[in-house]
Amino acid sequence: MRPRWLVLVLIGLALLASLLANLAIGAVQIGWSDVLAALVRFDPDSYDHFVVVYQRLPRALIAIYTGALMAVGGTVLQGLTRNPLASPSTLGINAGAMLFVIVGAYTFDLGLTAQGIAALAGAVFGFASCLSVARLAGLSRDPRGLALILSGALVSMLFVGIANAFLLADPARRTDFLGWITGNINHVYADRLADFWWIGLLSFAILGAIARPLTLVMLGQEKASSAGVNITWVTRAALAAVTLGAGSAVAICGPIGFVGLVVPHIVRPFIGAGLGLALPAGAMTGAIFCLIGDLVARQAFTPYVLHTGVLMDLIGGIVFVAIVRRFYLTPGARGET
Amino acid sequence: MLEARNVVASYGKTRVLNGLSVGFEPGRMTALVGPNGCGKSTLLKAIMGFVPLRAGIVRLAGEDLHRIARRGFARRIAYLPQESHCPDYMTLGELVELAGYARYSLLGGPSARDRELFAHALETVGLADMADRQVNALSGGQRQRAFIAMVLAQDAEIVLMDEPVNHLDMKYQYAVLDLVRDLTETHGKTVVTVLHDLNLTTTFADNVVMMREGRLEAMGAVGETVTAETVSRVFDLDADIFARNGRLVCLPNRDIGARIAPPTRTEATA
Repeated sequence: MRPRWLVLVLIGLALLASLLANLAIGAVQIGWSDVLAALVRFDPDSYDHFVVVYQRLPRALIAIYTGALMAVGGTVLQGLTRNPLASPSTLGINAGAMLFVIVGAYTFDLGLTAQGIAALAGAVFGFASCLSVARLAGLSRDPRGLALILSGALVSMLFVGIANAFLLADPARRTDFLGWITGNINHVYADRLADFWWIGLLSFAILGAIARPLTLVMLGQEKASSAGVNITWVTRAALAAVTLGAGSAVAICGPIGFVGLVVPHIVRPFIGAGLGLALPAGAMTGAIFCLIGDLVARQAFTPYVLHTGVLMDLIGGIVFVAIVRRFYLTPGARGET
Repeated sequence: MLEARNVVASYGKTRVLNGLSVGFEPGRMTALVGPNGCGKSTLLKAIMGFVPLRAGIVRLAGEDLHRIARRGFARRIAYLPQESHCPDYMTLGELVELAGYARYSLLGGPSARDRELFAHALETVGLADMADRQVNALSGGQRQRAFIAMVLAQDAEIVLMDEPVNHLDMKYQYAVLDLVRDLTETHGKTVVTVLHDLNLTTTFADNVVMMREGRLEAMGAVGETVTAETVSRVFDLDADIFARNGRLVCLPNRDIGARIAPPTRTEATA
């Protein structure tokens, strides 16, 4: 047991380090001491302090928020469906949220807050669409097969297509959303974080409170129920927390994909399957991923700045293939559990 | 006492339990036997509330079992499914700790007494020093014993098991059932278990419930109930039943292959 707590502490330290690195490194290099000074004793006359507090800190907070929620969402969805490929991005949640924001903004001229609410509704709609397509395709009760993931991919493609059609229809406003639609961690979205941070917090709180019964659900519904878990309520609460959490992250910076898919697989061997530890560990690791991803996206191709979402998709695509190979294409890989 | 009265249950249009009434003697091990698809597993699931009852009632000490809230239910009845799943990287210690869920407060964890119970459960199944091992890395026999430890750690007075020795080799079948038998003898628990093998039934169980096509065919102490006549009636099988070293042995005759009648109904999963 003790080494796992140690892992949690180490991840926490790594998070702190990547946060500081994210704040210090950029077009202007800022020393560690100045970064700390900017956070503790802000000097309004210092340009460096201004950059740290008004540009990099909001970015970093958005990265932490998004990474943590996506990773937690992936951890919970993979546990609930017992499907190693489940995550907010593969089950239509992100695409649904994105579609609703675009459609809302284009047809109803929704303001920022209304767009956020549209994102939440879209997240729920996307997940529901994925489930109903899977059911239409004949997925009976076993969610472990590829049918669920294929449905998610199908729904996502459809939604992205529709969203693109809207974007193409109105070239004048296209640029407003072009960055956002690929998943863009950017300080200009700080207002949205200020609007929605409490949704993420609520999502964490709910999932934390039901971490143990959720872990039991991973043993199978009958086993969990026989151990005293109210399956219906626990599943509903978990899905609501995950979809709303992921939806709020999409509302802020667009669909950042694959963190939710990849991080749970990386964390699990070190921290175990129990969600009591896997959720905080996943959240922090997801945050680290996005902080570093944001840093790389900004710095790797200077003077060009890559969108974090694009970078994540590149990395995530490769890992996706690796996971499919390990869980679906290796002979006898499934079945033993 | 746990009892089912006139229980009717079906999967879709296929009726699996046809007005079955049984009672399970407290502190005893009762085996449910019968041919494939006779409703043994469904009876356990109906008791657990996983399969809805079309008619009838399940009572525990006179109380309608299905009116008891899930956590209270779990404190009184534990269940071992036919197939147990465990997520990768979960350790035996974690698995056993989850069993106590029904006793924990919303955010609280196991008490000192719970921890004692968990250690004792692992000791009972002979896995005391393996709490840090991953469940999915254990051998088949160890894995099954791990899930039995989980059932033990739930600390319920009644334990329902669906074919606990499926997939195990002969040695482990005996080891695991010996352990299950011990639950009644030293822990005073009521055990109801689906068994496929009549010889395992006569060796380990106190009582037997013999079923066919969702109906009760015979019920009572093993010594009096398992006879050539009941075996023929329930399994449609000629068999010699004789006592050897103080226990009954069921030895089917060899020419049964020629006698297999066309199935009377679709074989639902047992």
